[in-house]
Amino acid sequence: MTGEDRAFTVARAAVIRRKRAAPWLLMLPALIIVLIFFGLPTLYMARMSFNLSEGSKLFTPGLSWANYQTVFSNEVFVGAIWTTLQLALMASAATLVIGYLFALLVWLKPAKWRLIFIGLALCPLLISEIAIIFGWWMFFPKNGLLSFALTSSGLISDKISLMYTEFAAFVGLVYLTLPFCFFILLSILDGIDKRMLEAAADLGASPLTIFREVLLPLTRNGMLVAFSQCFIFTMGTYATPSALGPDTLWTMGFLVQEQMLGRNNWPLASALSMVLVVLVAVMMVFTRALATRRATLHV
Amino acid sequence: MSDGSTPLTRRSVEPVVFRVLTLAFTIFIVAYVLIPIVVTLVMSFNEAAQIRFPIKVWSLGWYGDFIASPQWTDALKNSFIIAVGTAVISTTAGILAAWAFERYDFAFKNVLYILIMMPLFMPGVVLGLGVAIAFGGLEIGGVSIYGSRGLVMVAHSLWAMPLVFMLMEATFRTIDNRVVEAANDLGAPPVRTFFEVVIPMVSTGVISSVLFAFVISLNEFVMALFLTDRDTQTLPVLMWLSLRSAGTPRLAVASVILALTVFACLSLIMLWYIRQLRKVSR
Repeated sequence: MTGEDRAFTVARAAVIRRKRAAPWLLMLPALIIVLIFFGLPTLYMARMSFNLSEGSKLFTPGLSWANYQTVFSNEVFVGAIWTTLQLALMASAATLVIGYLFALLVWLKPAKWRLIFIGLALCPLLISEIAIIFGWWMFFPKNGLLSFALTSSGLISDKISLMYTEFAAFVGLVYLTLPFCFFILLSILDGIDKRMLEAAADLGASPLTIFREVLLPLTRNGMLVAFSQCFIFTMGTYATPSALGPDTLWTMGFLVQEQMLGRNNWPLASALSMVLVVLVAVMMVFTRALATRRATLHV
Repeated sequence: MSDGSTPLTRRSVEPVVFRVLTLAFTIFIVAYVLIPIVVTLVMSFNEAAQIRFPIKVWSLGWYGDFIASPQWTDALKNSFIIAVGTAVISTTAGILAAWAFERYDFAFKNVLYILIMMPLFMPGVVLGLGVAIAFGGLEIGGVSIYGSRGLVMVAHSLWAMPLVFMLMEATFRTIDNRVVEAANDLGAPPVRTFFEVVIPMVSTGVISSVLFAFVISLNEFVMALFLTDRDTQTLPVLMWLSLRSAGTPRLAVASVILALTVFACLSLIMLWYIRQLRKVSR
C-alpha cells in the first residue's frame, strides 16, 4: 500500500473490518484438524507420560517422574537414545556428502540431463518406505541380488549376506533422506552464478580450492538446513533400521512401537516419544540459530 | 602448487581424472537409486515362492495370486478409500487456510503458521501414538472411533495438509489480485469469486495438492499401523506385517501396484500442467 489510491484503501479496510470473521471461518477446518488431532493428542501424551503402569491395565492415573527415570537410567533406553543419535548423525553426514555431489553433478551437467536426474531423485520420495525396505531386503541377503551378482561375476567364491547388518540399515536410511538433501542443495546451487567458478579457474585456482573458497561458503547455510532436515527425519524413522539392521539395533522409534503395541505400556511409550519430540525440537532450534547467525555474519 | 611446471601437466591430467570421477559417481548414484526399484520389479515376475536369485522361471502367477486374495485386495481397497479421504480433507482444509493467510490479516498469524506446519516435522511414530492414546477408547454412538478409516484419514492429513497449505500459499501469491478485485467490484459475493475466479486460476496447484495428499496417504504406514485393525488395515501395513513373518514375491507385486498408482498420479499432474500451458499459449 504505497498510497496510490487512498479511497480504495479505506474502502478495503472497511471490507476487511466487516469480514473480520472470514479468515477464522476459512481456517476452521485446518484449526480443527491441528488442534483436535495434533494439539490435544500431544497434551494427552505429555500427561500420559506421568501416569503409572501397573499390572495388566494400560495405565494407572498418577503423577510421577518414574517413566522418565526409566528412560534415562535403564540401559536399553539410554542405549536406544545413543543408537538413534549416532545412526542419525552418521546417516545424515553420508547423505549430505552424496546429496551434495549429486546436486553438484546435476548443476554442472548440461540442462538436457537435468530432468532425468530430477526424476531419479524423486523416486525415493515417491515410493513407499515399505517398498524400498523390501527392495533392499531382496538385495542384501545370501540369496539376494548382491550375492548373486558378486559370485556369478567371479569376484567372490562364497555367497555373502549383508542383511541384518548396520551397513544395510545405513544404506536404507541414506536412500530415504537423499531426495531432501538433493533438492535443498540444488535450489541453493541454482542461485549461484556459474561464471564465478570460471573466474576462479581462470585466476588459477584448482578445483579443490574453488570448492573450498567459493562454493563452500555460498552453500554453507543450505548444507546446514539439509543436514538438519535429514537428521530430524532419520531420528523419527524406525521401520528401515529395524527391518534391515541387526536385531540389537534398537532405535527410539522402535522402542516406542514396542512399548505401545507389544507391551501395552502406554505411559512409558509416551515418555519415550516426549523425549524424541524434545530432541527433534532442540535440533530444529539449534539449526535455526546457527543458520541465522551465519547469515548475519556473511552480510 | 608453487611448482612452475605443474600447471601444464595438471591441466591435461585433471580433466581426465575429473571425467572418470564424474562418470563413476553418476553410475553409483543411478545404481543406488534404481537397485531397490529394479529388484522389486524383477522379483514380482518370479514363479517360485522363495526370494532367491537367479530367477529361473518367469510368470505372472503372483499377480494372479494378489488379485485372488481377498486379504490383499481388501487392504488395497482400504488404502484407496483412506487416500481419497485424506486428499479431500487435507485439500479442503489446506486450501481454505492458505486463502485466509493470503487475503486477510488477523491476530496470531505467525503462531498459527507454525502450528499448521508443525505436524509435518513430527515423526510418524509420535503422531500415531498420540492419536492412538487420545482416541483409543472413544466411541460415538456405539461405534468405536479407534480402528476406523476416518481416524486414519485425519491422521494422514496431519502430514498432507501442511504440504497442501505450503503449496497453495505459494500458488495464491502468483495470482493477479486485480482480477479478484474486479470480480468483487462487479458485485460477486466472496464465495462466488473464490469458486468461479480464484480456483480456476490455480487449478494446477489444486490438482497437485489433491494428488500429493493422495500419494502421501497411500504410502504412509507407521501411523496406519497404530490406528488400524484387521478390517481396516492398509496395503503398506499388511506388507509390513507380512515382511516381519516371511517375504514372498506377493510383497513385490504389492510394491509394484503401489508404485504404479503413484506414477499414474504424477502423470496426471504432468498432463494437467501441459494442458494448462497449451491453454495459456493459445
